[in-house]
Amino acid sequence: MSSKPARFMSEDAVIITLGVSWLVLYLGVRFFLEANPGLEHGVRLGLAFVPTPVFALFLWKFVKGIRTADELERRIQLEALAVAFPLGLLLLTTLGLVQRAVELNFQDWSYNHVWPYFWFFYLVGLWIARKRYT
Amino acid sequence: MRNRLKVLRAERDWSQADVADKLGVSRQTINAIETGKYDPSLPLAFSLAGLFGHPLESIFTPGPAADGANAGQ
Repeated sequence: MSSKPARFMSEDAVIITLGVSWLVLYLGVRFFLEANPGLEHGVRLGLAFVPTPVFALFLWKFVKGIRTADELERRIQLEALAVAFPLGLLLLTTLGLVQRAVELNFQDWSYNHVWPYFWFFYLVGLWIARKRYT
Repeated sequence: MRNRLKVLRAERDWSQADVADKLGVSRQTINAIETGKYDPSLPLAFSLAGLFGHPLESIFTPGPAADGANAGQ
């Protein structure tokens, strides 16, 4: 995302590291909660919010990265998000309609399983945009 | 929009990375401008004109890019 000379750890690497950290933390908390159903309600709720600060930091760095990127990179990111956001919206609204039409299996289509599509849509958008300008 | 960036760059024996470094943008941006896949903003176009010491209109001219790129911009 950034076009500045490489430092010890480039902004892109920091953003990716934070994203991966959030993912690891999210999966860790999720599996821990699934493996320990007997935990106290308040503790479970508290654990559910543990990954949130890391994601907030990731989001802050991501937005900062876009602000400091050069104009072509900003356009590429905009086009990637312009693909990802409507596709995410389409996925959620279609799932909502299908859920009303038929019984969806919670294990297949709960919030636990739908969110990776948003990353997938963003990566597809990024691929399309980069292909267009390179 | 057509441009003469590649010719001007070759005259000075500058690489795309050289131009990118001088202007604080990525090499990908210079490449996209040269190949007509991306039309630069006015500030960047003026920076390019200043760097090469030519008036803006002598570097950029209206019309489709030579390779037919940047359609839809």
